[in-house]
Amino acid sequence: MSQWLLAIIFILISIWYLTFTATRLDRLHHRVETSWANLDVLLQKRAAVALEIAHSDIADPASSVLLTAAAYQARDADIQNRSQAESGLSGALGLLLEDSAHLETAADSALLTELSGLTDKVRVAIAIHTDAVARTQMVRRKFIVRLFRLAGTAPLPITHEFEADVL
Amino acid sequence: MLTRCLKIGIVCPYSWDTPGGVQNHIRDLAEFLIEAGHEVSVLAPAIDESKLPDYVVNAGKPISIPYNGAVARVLFGPVAFARVRQWISQGDFDLLHLHEPAIPSISLLACWAADGPMVGTFHAAAKRQKIIFAIGPILEPAIEKLSARIAVSEAARLTLTDHLDTDAIIIPNGIYAKRYAHGKLQEKWSGNTIGFIGRFEEPRKGLSVLVDALPVISRFAPDVKVFVAGPGEPDEVIKSIDPQLRHRFEFLGKISEEDKADFMSSVALYVAPNTGGESFGIILAEALAGGACVVASDIPAFDDLLGHGEFGALFASENPTELAKVVIELLRDESKRKELANRGKNHAQLFDWTTVAEQIYSVYEMSIVGSEKVRLASDTRPWNRFLNKEEKP
Repeated sequence: MSQWLLAIIFILISIWYLTFTATRLDRLHHRVETSWANLDVLLQKRAAVALEIAHSDIADPASSVLLTAAAYQARDADIQNRSQAESGLSGALGLLLEDSAHLETAADSALLTELSGLTDKVRVAIAIHTDAVARTQMVRRKFIVRLFRLAGTAPLPITHEFEADVL
Repeated sequence: MLTRCLKIGIVCPYSWDTPGGVQNHIRDLAEFLIEAGHEVSVLAPAIDESKLPDYVVNAGKPISIPYNGAVARVLFGPVAFARVRQWISQGDFDLLHLHEPAIPSISLLACWAADGPMVGTFHAAAKRQKIIFAIGPILEPAIEKLSARIAVSEAARLTLTDHLDTDAIIIPNGIYAKRYAHGKLQEKWSGNTIGFIGRFEEPRKGLSVLVDALPVISRFAPDVKVFVAGPGEPDEVIKSIDPQLRHRFEFLGKISEEDKADFMSSVALYVAPNTGGESFGIILAEALAGGACVVASDIPAFDDLLGHGEFGALFASENPTELAKVVIELLRDESKRKELANRGKNHAQLFDWTTVAEQIYSVYEMSIVGSEKVRLASDTRPWNRFLNKEEKP
């Protein structure tokens, strides 16, 4: 009799654990998606600001060309080329910012303030995204998760290369 | 800076009536956010309900447990859990900000009970403990629910990566730099003087290191005086001092914020000989903002805050001989003292609330994007969702 009872308790606990893990995984997948969407929006904004900077007086003609090309590339890149394009834009902006410390006109510095604010946000968004991805990968590696296919058909999330070296 | 009015719930794990770094941080943050137009509710344990500011909600009477080398007054248990759940479901928050969610407290309970955008701040820096291998797997799923983690210093971040295997964004604790910027030079505290502020009875604050260093210091600087400010009974400490040196110590008791600013601008050196258990060192940031020349032990938090010696002098922790050496060298060289103090004062602007709160707020924004409001986790569990659907067609 007590054996049956134990078995039932065991089964109930396993069911609880499985739903618990499934909920946890679902939450993680959801976070990966929202954090990526958020990061994506911020990066698009950054490209737009970069374009504006390229058209303003901050950039000399040479870096203006470089920046415009990089910004367009970042905006239009598909998912495979995204990493390279964003790194390129980071590099171009970095070059520009390095020797633009002397600028003082109000309109220009407003653009640069916007850029630096955006860069801070991008950094936070990247931290949140990479963390969500790492967590999800970790949970998905668990034996129980693989055995019961708790991840379902959701693709395994990945981090992008550019996330390591943004500005 | 602040574009949208948010409803923010902050959970303070420690008793609101006992003084402490975490409580001060939460009070300042809450007041700053309210000032900026947000709605803030702080849930905290408290002994005396009548003294609470109106944005604090009492969670119940705290109990004392030993934690990380000190006594922590925290609260947990089924009754507290019910309070936390009630607070969350009634609050209708856009975001929860949990402080120190990895210790047994209402922060952890809130993390367990809620679902939605949550930010956690980790204050403590501790050495790796064996016990974490046992409780890590239990904490992990809860800590993982935080959409973003903040560590107050590099030391706190390392503790977090060590113990729970997750990364965090570093945002320092905030101070009101302006309050300390215009301290007046007080004759009574200036000259060859050394300042110390803190609960000097606690061994980890390291006053004994300074006491041990004083015989050597006084041989080279005969007119040196030490001013000790902070709450506590000085009798025990005075007994431990060499009778010939007792007159060099003056205990000021607890001093007000204005006095603190004057104190920092007046003393020749501010000494922080803490031996550990410190994760950020807010008092050092305040000392720097007040224009004091700082000498601190090289524990990781201080080393980090002082830029490895760039913004203040460091000495090997718990080593009175080296402390004496550093102090004597600086007491003799006024230009070096001025230079350190100036660099430190500029550096301290990084810790001003306007900067710090903006950083915290941008983490809030990032966590809120794409998420719904904070709800009770139990309402979103599959079987409950199923049951609720049946009830409310």
